[in-house]
Amino acid sequence: MDTSTVNIILLIFHYFFFVYSATAIASYMILAIISLVETSEYKKKNSFVNYKEILSSRVSPSISIIAPAYNESLNIIENVRSLLSSHYVNYDVIIVNDGSKDDSLEKLIKSYNLVKVDYLINQQIPTQPLRAGVFKSTNPAFEKLVVVDKENGGKADALNMGLNISKSTYTACIDVDCLLLEDSLQKMIKPFLERTDVKVIATGGVIRIANACTIKDGKLLDVAMPKKFLERAQILEYMRSFLLGRMAWSRLNGLLVISGAFGMFDKKIAIEVGGYDTNTVGEDMEIIVRMRRQMEEKRIKYKVAYIPDPLCWTEAPDNHKIFISQRNRWTRGTIETLKTHRKIGLNYKYRELGLLSFPYWFIFERMAPIIEVVGIIYFGVLLALGSIRWDYAFVFFISAYLFFVIFSLVAILSEEHTYHQYKKKGTGFKLILTSLLEPFIFHPFILYAAIRGNIDYFFNKDLKWGEMKRKGLTKEVISEVVEQK
Amino acid sequence: MIDFQYIFEYFNGAPLIIQIIWMVSCVLFVTAVVLIIYLKVFRSHLRKNEKIVKTFQKKYEELLITYLYAGVEDEEISSEQQSIINKLKSEIKNEFKREIVITTLLKLRNEISGEMADAIQELYCQVGLLDYSLIKLRSSSWYIIAMGIRELTQFNIEKANKQVVKYANHSKSEVRKEVQLYLINLFHFKGLDFLDDLKVSLSEWDQIQLLEVLQRSKDQEICNIIPWLKSENDSVVIFALKLAEIYNLFETKEVLLELISHKSENVRINLMRVLNHLSIFEAKEGIKRNFNKRNKEEQIAFFQLLENLYDTNDEDFILKQIYNKNFEIKFEALKILKLFHNEQFNNLKLTPPESEFVKIAKFLQNN
Repeated sequence: MDTSTVNIILLIFHYFFFVYSATAIASYMILAIISLVETSEYKKKNSFVNYKEILSSRVSPSISIIAPAYNESLNIIENVRSLLSSHYVNYDVIIVNDGSKDDSLEKLIKSYNLVKVDYLINQQIPTQPLRAGVFKSTNPAFEKLVVVDKENGGKADALNMGLNISKSTYTACIDVDCLLLEDSLQKMIKPFLERTDVKVIATGGVIRIANACTIKDGKLLDVAMPKKFLERAQILEYMRSFLLGRMAWSRLNGLLVISGAFGMFDKKIAIEVGGYDTNTVGEDMEIIVRMRRQMEEKRIKYKVAYIPDPLCWTEAPDNHKIFISQRNRWTRGTIETLKTHRKIGLNYKYRELGLLSFPYWFIFERMAPIIEVVGIIYFGVLLALGSIRWDYAFVFFISAYLFFVIFSLVAILSEEHTYHQYKKKGTGFKLILTSLLEPFIFHPFILYAAIRGNIDYFFNKDLKWGEMKRKGLTKEVISEVVEQK
Repeated sequence: MIDFQYIFEYFNGAPLIIQIIWMVSCVLFVTAVVLIIYLKVFRSHLRKNEKIVKTFQKKYEELLITYLYAGVEDEEISSEQQSIINKLKSEIKNEFKREIVITTLLKLRNEISGEMADAIQELYCQVGLLDYSLIKLRSSSWYIIAMGIRELTQFNIEKANKQVVKYANHSKSEVRKEVQLYLINLFHFKGLDFLDDLKVSLSEWDQIQLLEVLQRSKDQEICNIIPWLKSENDSVVIFALKLAEIYNLFETKEVLLELISHKSENVRINLMRVLNHLSIFEAKEGIKRNFNKRNKEEQIAFFQLLENLYDTNDEDFILKQIYNKNFEIKFEALKILKLFHNEQFNNLKLTPPESEFVKIAKFLQNN
């Protein structure tokens, strides 16, 4: 290759990175503006809602909370108690013990006076078979509890069993270790009941990080900022994602994912599409895309709604090993879902789903880490060739960094203007400091995890969900993930 | 100074793109600094605000309690009460303080009852808060209108009926909901008249709220719901069906029977539940005749009705449906068969053993 060819290639790279970054920044800005408008409107509208009336109503629709559990013996009793403490009247809790190897079932039987019952299951979605069977409590205080013990089949399979078991109109699928606030169910069900112009197929809630928070008897007593930088950075990341990202996608009716930690579905539609896909580690995203796809194909007006209230609190990884493993799985889930439903991409038949959400996810979620790494390599090559224009590099770096910081600051501001959860003095300073340091200390791990996810997706196909050992939200949270092959 | 000169020289000599990015960076830097300062100020403002609100709340609470106990038997309003009214009148000129006064009034009113609660209500009018609420109704912002209506509801201001009811078909559901709650809370079943002219859908959420408020009301004298059962607005029909169910309105039977062939599936599904609840067996034959044309949800709901209102004339129909492809219908049909024709149920041929049919039959045998 002569010099001019090399120069042309380098120029193409230059322009590609420039255009990609500019588009990404522009899209973030647009999404942030839409989110801020939407959140403010939501808050306004919500100030007129009286959630008490739906609580005691005998005509309020039924909800099943489905919580899959695998080796959760340590906290299962407290976690179930928390799930049973909802103020909603017409609901039940289905705990699916997914072939746990520990004594989860025995503990549940003992603590909740469970007895085996003959239960007729409408096997609408194929799942692994029952192991010990279905259990219900003899104690009227726990009449809302159903425990299903089945052979291990993974989270998606357990959720499918829950869908088969449920007799309710709506199902809230949650992680068993999540802490739900008492008014979560009525807030999540509201969009299903209030929209008359479109069919609401699912609602997603904000996930908040409970590390360092005080929780007693399944109730959140105090919100605090964790000491570890990794946990703090995740709090900030969740704020950005939930308050500045998903809220906008909700407005645009382009939400592609509802967190597996807490989402509510119209059970009939979830079953119609075949339930959760057991062949992906991103089952939470996949089912939403599949449900949306079906609605688009049937030409039914629909909506995936989103609730910005802090309703569900969960523990976030507090060490880098678990964090990387979690993000690795998220990356693989995204790749699998986008690949499975690639037909949607740029397909005008799927309207905003095909022309907006799907391409956005592909370009700015799926491809972003790859492009970033290519950029780093490209920078290395230029460095080796001695072709770096430091004046260019420096100013671009500064502007990118400042944009990132501002984006985080806007997320914090949005939080303060709306929910103001971190009230303690000094917390604001910690969050600001985290936003300043995050690009250097936290972002490299996200990038590494995403690249590992890509590598594992292509070269390590058997990699599935990890096994998570927890200490629980009431104590110091330390988890350990062992990737299973 | 030389350094600055160097910077200016560098900037002027740099390519345009670099100049632009530097300018953008400067703007971003200033924005970041402003945001950080704003964030710090805003957080401390929120903390301070909380304290201020508490202080004012305490102050107004004390003032209001004094007002309540400062009454003199001979006079309508004592001089002490009048001075409190005057004080509050001047305080509520400030919007921030006005909101706190309203919150405090409501809090107190919910804690007390009888004459004192009435006195609080009167005070709301005397200090001029009513005028502020009525002014809100003239606002161009839906949010303020809804706030105004809510205040009128909370303080039971019946005389604002005409001003409120004109928003019954407002484009914002929040305003409509506040109108509905105003009417129901203040006029109970009579307040349901807004259904006559409702041009938009009454959501399930609204319906639940209205039913709950109605059920809490002391006045349980229900009005004639038949016009709503015949409404062109499907959501009104569904709401009326719920009323018929909750208040056992047997007198609506004839109209309910007409609804069996209503165009809306949703209406028909809700109807099945009401027919079942009111045990209107005359509906059965009509539904059985075109059972297969109805959707699955309706069919399942019909079977629940049939279980309740079964008679021997239904036997052939049930026998046909025990082999229905739908799990729930099959289950319901077999359940009815077992309940009313146990011998026939026991003689069923249970093969092949893995089939859904056998699974259900065996489950029913054991339970």
